[in-house]
Amino acid sequence: MSYILNTKEDIREILKIIGKNSLEDLFSHLPKEIVLDKSLNLNDGLSEQEVRERIKNLSLKNKPISEYNSFLGGGLYDHYIPSAVKYLSSLPEFVSAYTPYQAECSQGILQAIYEYQSYICLLTGLDVSCASLLDGASSFAEGVLMALRINKRSEVIVSSLIHPEYERTLRTYLSGFNFKIKKVGFTENGTLNLKELENLINKDTSLIAFQSPNFLGYIEDIEKIVCLAKNTGALTVMITNPLSLAILKEPAKFGVDIVCGEGNVLGGDLNFGGSCFGFLATKMEFVRQIPGRLVGRTTDLNGNTSFCLTLQAREQHIRREKATSNICSNSSFNAIRAAIYLSLLGKDGLYKVALYSLNLAHYLYERLKEIKYISFPFSDYFFNEFTYKISNSKSFFNKLYKKKIIPGLLLNKFNFSDCILISCTEKKTKEDIDNFILTIKEIYE
Amino acid sequence: MNKLIFEKDNKVPCSYIRKPDLDIKEPSNFIPREFLRETLNLPSPGELEVVRHYTNLSELNFCVDKNFYPLGSCTMKYNPKINEELANLENFLNIHPYQDNKDLQGTLELIYNLEKILCEITGMSRFTFQPSSGAQGELTGLLMIKKYNKIKKNKKYKVIVPTSSHGTNPASIAMCGYEVVNVNTTKDGLVDIDELKNIVDNSVAAMMLTNPNTLGLFEEDILKIKDIIHNVGAFLYYDGANFNALLGITKPSIMGFDIIHLNLHKTFSTPHGCGGPGLGAVGVSKEFVDFLPVPIVDKKGENFYLNYKVRNTIGRIRSFICNFSVLVKAYSYLLRLGSSGLLKIAYIAVLNANYIKERLKQYFELPSEKPCMHEVVFSCKRQKEKGITALDIAKSLIDYGIHPPTIYFPLIVKEAIMIEPTETENKKTLDYFIDAMIKINEEIDKDPNKIKNSPHKAPVRRVDEVKAARELDLAYKPKDVSNFCDNRDV
Amino acid sequence: MGILKFSKTHEWVLVEGNFATIGITDYAQKSLGDIVFVELPEIGRKLKQNEQFGVVESTKAASELYSPLSGEVIEVNKEIINSPQLINEDPFNKGWMIKIKIINIKELDNLLSEEEYKEFIKREQ
Repeated sequence: MSYILNTKEDIREILKIIGKNSLEDLFSHLPKEIVLDKSLNLNDGLSEQEVRERIKNLSLKNKPISEYNSFLGGGLYDHYIPSAVKYLSSLPEFVSAYTPYQAECSQGILQAIYEYQSYICLLTGLDVSCASLLDGASSFAEGVLMALRINKRSEVIVSSLIHPEYERTLRTYLSGFNFKIKKVGFTENGTLNLKELENLINKDTSLIAFQSPNFLGYIEDIEKIVCLAKNTGALTVMITNPLSLAILKEPAKFGVDIVCGEGNVLGGDLNFGGSCFGFLATKMEFVRQIPGRLVGRTTDLNGNTSFCLTLQAREQHIRREKATSNICSNSSFNAIRAAIYLSLLGKDGLYKVALYSLNLAHYLYERLKEIKYISFPFSDYFFNEFTYKISNSKSFFNKLYKKKIIPGLLLNKFNFSDCILISCTEKKTKEDIDNFILTIKEIYE
Repeated sequence: MNKLIFEKDNKVPCSYIRKPDLDIKEPSNFIPREFLRETLNLPSPGELEVVRHYTNLSELNFCVDKNFYPLGSCTMKYNPKINEELANLENFLNIHPYQDNKDLQGTLELIYNLEKILCEITGMSRFTFQPSSGAQGELTGLLMIKKYNKIKKNKKYKVIVPTSSHGTNPASIAMCGYEVVNVNTTKDGLVDIDELKNIVDNSVAAMMLTNPNTLGLFEEDILKIKDIIHNVGAFLYYDGANFNALLGITKPSIMGFDIIHLNLHKTFSTPHGCGGPGLGAVGVSKEFVDFLPVPIVDKKGENFYLNYKVRNTIGRIRSFICNFSVLVKAYSYLLRLGSSGLLKIAYIAVLNANYIKERLKQYFELPSEKPCMHEVVFSCKRQKEKGITALDIAKSLIDYGIHPPTIYFPLIVKEAIMIEPTETENKKTLDYFIDAMIKINEEIDKDPNKIKNSPHKAPVRRVDEVKAARELDLAYKPKDVSNFCDNRDV
Repeated sequence: MGILKFSKTHEWVLVEGNFATIGITDYAQKSLGDIVFVELPEIGRKLKQNEQFGVVESTKAASELYSPLSGEVIEVNKEIINSPQLINEDPFNKGWMIKIKIINIKELDNLLSEEEYKEFIKREQ
């Protein structure tokens, strides 16, 4: 079953019209050496009924996060998704449509993307946002490449407190070039060591890349970082959690040049990290260097408001090797879903999600302080995530996992030994947190 | 006309979120004011307003579910609904990538099984599903080649692409620090083998090729190309955008390709969703297995796990693991098809394109005499001489409810129009399209102004793209900054 | 009464004494279509013959601009930055791009005369 509608009669008729005897004749000009002489070694096609059973059974081998009292974060957070988000993002005219190359028959998509771009600008305070990139890590890499193109310098300074997977992605993206990457360390506050940063910056520094709230959960002194960068004309590239921007000051107000990160937190499913999209916003003066598609508002022949893709001369299908990026397919669908989420929650709802997450995380922090085996190596301000330390953290972690509690993200594999990154979203209750603390106290009698 | 969502603010308070059983404090209790926002200028339209807004927007779009969408090079085939249902199973959606391996067994088994199927279809040894698009797949493949050469201390710095290639190819080459070398196509529309022989030397690291190429033609000298490239220790990269024509007919490994990418959102029916997400699965020969990005999915005994130990890995090109929904949809599709179903796709995709070619060739110029495969490229040169461009013809098709084919690509054909019907369309639909094209062509003589000013029946008339670029309006700017504290019920 | 010459990359240059005015030809503006943006160099920038001095962009293409002669940029046409359509409307007059102080008049020998340029574009087509 291939979802083919042509009947045997149709096929016969078409073959006659094109002057071929059989379907095989359509491939007769291929070199004989490469044509397969037997069918692929795959099972026969299954009925839809069998496929549903098979895949459903596979899914049942998973243990979803809902079976746990989970405090897992680390870049992907379990937030509440209103029902209407899923309903609206399933509309077939969004799902089965393509890139809006033909503006006249894609006004809905174009307007939805324009609104998404506008939301990102409102949250970050910046002037222009692209129509989405592939995920947070690659959008970060694109942001760095963008800064390098703008001032044509050779050195990249990277905070050691950005998400390790983002750093690794950046290194892979830069591995084809000869740019120098310098890392700047952190203090016991859990934020960037500004003195060390000051010493590392020189006239070859193209940009300072950092994350706030950072990987360990703490809020950086963005104003000082931007100030240090401006002293030598370097740019700043900041990774952030867009949800945190409901409460935290717009990066634009600090003078940050490029803001990027993961947009999944705005109404996307966890989906094993599979519903990601990268966002990237910048100042108007850099608009021609921005990677990805851009939707602009204009008018049609009759003077009515219309939308279309614009500044396409930056993109690969026109500029080829001189394009700002090789990106073609992006994550428009996930970006539109984020705009739907933001529209449904509204100002009030988004603020509440951030406020409740903030309060619950701080309540959790206060309660964790009661456990004497647990210490807090860092002391700076945090949003919905922070780091704690406990000796033999792996054993602690496994004991709680068995009790159906995920006490955060073990940071051993990220070289913060015995540390655990813990987060709270508005989905947690006071009871969840109290049960967590109770369980720890029971285990560590 | 549809107002922006920002102009539909009804200041409705939100009641979606449960209030925690805590004494809720203002942010300034936890974070100093200098780090906090003073205003948040988002609209609060309320659910009904939002549902109407997006429902109305959706009605302004063409989509595969509505009508014929023959965008060349994009393979706009039907998206089976069972794929959507299964990708949205709770037990798939509700998984955090940082959960313990034992919680992920269903997800990992699916990825593992899918990899096995794709290896059989393509002849490659292993796949990575990290790249989220074909272009990102190209970058991944090229970076693997670059690392390979670095380790072997090979001094290679060039990559060859045909002038007919998709723009992502040279852009990807530039993004990994290699130099782009173009090879021309002959009058027949195929890679110029003689020129290729002249430009290939030991400094060439790879050649990127789409087969069938962007003119819809099979590169008949593929085995010669393979030899020329391999003889200088270079590798052949397969841009799998057009693989729909070859499913079950041949395998990229047999054609000589060392690294390939497949566009799961093209060949394997996953929906395009307004431009993404997709997935560019990258398959490699044995030689490159040690260079794959991490993690890959492996099996130990009965257990599946995420393997981060790949000896010469290029690292990562994204966070977390992969666009998992796209894999579920592709897997579901492949289970439905089986081997005979796959072969039928190639047969009918090529049949349908040839039908369009045969019936339209008297009206539109064919740039090549070679047999076409799953897509046909015409040149609207004859029409241009009468003052009508490929763009005008494309816009006229909108009035027939048909999404225009790809235009102005490949760049080597003047006034190109690229039509890919796919296998899921039947003769009836093709006839409707063909009749529309013939009618439009007739109207060029009878009523050229109608064509030049089309579309007439779309939600908007022809959009002023020049104005859009000259007077940039890329985001809504609020007229007033409303008070942060109003209407909040905390 | 200046000397008008053309480059193979479709720029024109009008030399008057020690100075030259540079722009793109009618053929170039036609090929590009409606021009939406032009990027010009800073005053004081020193250019070599054939060095890129800017970019011109339409909705369907972006092209580098190459200097037909070596020299120092002494003036740029601010009008076309705000109204790039002037390049389409009047590429030889109102659409001029930069004025330079030339270094080596002999470089003119490397350029095409009007006749030679007309032949050149005929062959390109």
